[in-house]
Amino acid sequence: MRVVLYTGKGGVGKTTTAAASAVWAASRGLRVLVASADAAHSLGDVLEEPLGDEPRQLELKDGGRFSGTLFAVEVDARAEVSRHWGAVSDYLGQLFRHQGIEEVMADELALLPGLEELTTLLAVDAWAREGAYDLVVVDCAPTDSALRLLTLPEAAHSALRILLKLQRAIAGLVTPLARNLVAVPLPGSEVFRDAEGLIYRQLGKLSELISDPGTSVRLVLTPERMVIDESLRARTDLALFGVAVDAVVMNRLLPEEAAAEPFFAEWVRQQAARRDEVAEFFAPLPILAAPLQDDEVVGLARLQAHGRILFRDHAPEALLSSEPGLEFRREGSGYALRLPLPNARAEELDVTRVGAQLMVRTGALRRPIPLPRHLLGMDVSGARCRDGILEVRFQPSETA
Amino acid sequence: MRVVLLTGKGGVGKTTHAITTALGAAARGHRVFLLSTDAAHSVGDALGRPVGARPVPIAEGVVAQEVSALDELDRSWGALQKFLRQLLKEETDELVAEELLVFPGLEELIALRAIRDVEATGEFDVCVVDCAPTGSTLRMLRFPDVLRIFMENFFELERRGARLLKPLLEPFRAGGLVPGEEMFDAFERLWSDVDDVREILMDTSRTTARLVVNPTQVVLEEARRSFAYLSLYGVATDGVIVNRVLPRVAGQGWFGRWAAREQAMLEEIRTSFPIPRIEVPLEPRELTGLPALQALAGRLYTERDPAALWRQGRPIRLRTHSGHPRLEIELPGATKEALEVDARGDSLVIRLRDASRIVALPRSLVGRPIRRARLREGLLAVDFE
Repeated sequence: MRVVLYTGKGGVGKTTTAAASAVWAASRGLRVLVASADAAHSLGDVLEEPLGDEPRQLELKDGGRFSGTLFAVEVDARAEVSRHWGAVSDYLGQLFRHQGIEEVMADELALLPGLEELTTLLAVDAWAREGAYDLVVVDCAPTDSALRLLTLPEAAHSALRILLKLQRAIAGLVTPLARNLVAVPLPGSEVFRDAEGLIYRQLGKLSELISDPGTSVRLVLTPERMVIDESLRARTDLALFGVAVDAVVMNRLLPEEAAAEPFFAEWVRQQAARRDEVAEFFAPLPILAAPLQDDEVVGLARLQAHGRILFRDHAPEALLSSEPGLEFRREGSGYALRLPLPNARAEELDVTRVGAQLMVRTGALRRPIPLPRHLLGMDVSGARCRDGILEVRFQPSETA
Repeated sequence: MRVVLLTGKGGVGKTTHAITTALGAAARGHRVFLLSTDAAHSVGDALGRPVGARPVPIAEGVVAQEVSALDELDRSWGALQKFLRQLLKEETDELVAEELLVFPGLEELIALRAIRDVEATGEFDVCVVDCAPTGSTLRMLRFPDVLRIFMENFFELERRGARLLKPLLEPFRAGGLVPGEEMFDAFERLWSDVDDVREILMDTSRTTARLVVNPTQVVLEEARRSFAYLSLYGVATDGVIVNRVLPRVAGQGWFGRWAAREQAMLEEIRTSFPIPRIEVPLEPRELTGLPALQALAGRLYTERDPAALWRQGRPIRLRTHSGHPRLEIELPGATKEALEVDARGDSLVIRLRDASRIVALPRSLVGRPIRRARLREGLLAVDFE
């Protein structure tokens, strides 16, 4: 079973890429589910099929002949929230209404930040465990919220657990007294039960899913300066939390026909440079590239054609890069950053710290690596390259 | 101080237009603060120079800052941060704990506080905010309400509870797991600051949002929802910036099909957003670096002052009317005879003669039948079951 999540900066074509990979894999005989985890769903728009919160079966045709089936779903975050968090959100809604907030507003307010994203991933996890699919493709929200989502289960649940314990202890003590003193509705035990269920059972399962070797993330980007910058930061954040990135998808390359239009001449030239940068910066990750189409890529037929181009050299369900990528490891009081550089020669290697980035040069190749915030306050204490792996050590700053 | 919030779907050009708005306003002599509250900051990327968590002048009359929740925690919320850090260190690696300190909600909170800090300096006429993509921005805007409720109800309760518990828990205290007084004090200060911001944001004569869109279907759908939601949360939207419109010279040959599709979209944008609108053509190259952005600001804002209030009032409001939810929509100039209102899926379709306007429904109204719709003095009131 494979779970592949597609994420990237807003507007780079995540949904199209996720849908095209799913359609293409399904047309090759795999049992595939494609799920939209972005609260602002556009999967249905792209597939041109109305979708609901239960997987819907879609028939694929190739030249009029049946070529496979695909399951697609848009997770209803609200329904998921009420499934896992029902008592809590009912309580919050009640509380808000009590405050004279209008009913409709109260329901909106009861959705705490992060909760929608979290419960959405829980639904995906449940389908992934069903065993009915060979491949589950997830269309994620833009980088920042997707990252938050992926990184939330890993550790936040320990913090939440402690808070909850504390909360419950306080409420147990205070509630009997407070009921008489305060005019607001107080939470009952079912509220805590739901909160605990979500925190203990569900978040734990989610961490498993995310660290599973069958799960990988693909970064979708377009050959533009700002998009590349953000994708580099996303890769650092993902590495920090041990999430494997197995490929980069580069969308919207202007095709040769476009180069003939004088207006786009400069764009074509710039894109060529950006394209080289992407290969350089993200090496050794494979780059899957697809040209801009002459019309919006919507509908099963166009998606299948797009998938065929995108995955001309790779199977969409394969793990496209199995070697560990960028890694951060604790080492004594400091940290070590590890980056595989298979063909680098030590004498050509140059590592410099430039602001919030580490710039690694091997010969003519550059690799900027944005540093995690915590490492910004540390000094580089050494770097070495052995067995094709660059290791850069960070130590707490003497002056700090 | 005037506050202009630039918001929209990811990738539409919010940052670019936050910068052009700031530069355009500065060119007219306003003292401008450009604040990025998107956790995935790109003001620095767009300008091609570092812009950090501390205010830094980026052009004549413009000071910029990329709000960093962590930095802000370090500086102003020592007590709170200490508490959180201890909680997190219990079970996770320090490096990860550091990133996790910024849990959902905190970012919004600190972004709001940053707006207040700009106002408090008294040194700026305009604060231009480069917001996070729509979803997070809406969360940020409704945050003061959520916080107010928590503060008013739980805060005193929690505080008393913690005091009560402290002696009991003392022997088990695993390194400060019971929040101390100083944390509550920190929260109280934070609250009073956020309440100030609430006043700024809800003041439609000072604060407005501008929606940045591209002429594509998917972007348009989302913009409709944002437009309605912003209005519902009490924030007036006074303009739409349609970014990356294929210029006539570019919509030829291979791009012909794209150009035709865009024309249809532009028409839809015109009817969907009955507010001032500017259309910005696609540039012949990537738009980064100060000179290019300054040139664009000059072209866009020769006649219109980007700091001015382009339009006043909130076009969509939600309230309760004799026990039923009521959506009020401004339709200046509409007459009863030509009007048709229909709830369809998650939208409200309003047909006025030949033109139709689609208003995204708040989620709580989706699926509810319409009781009745009434038009009076240019205001359409739709009552739901």
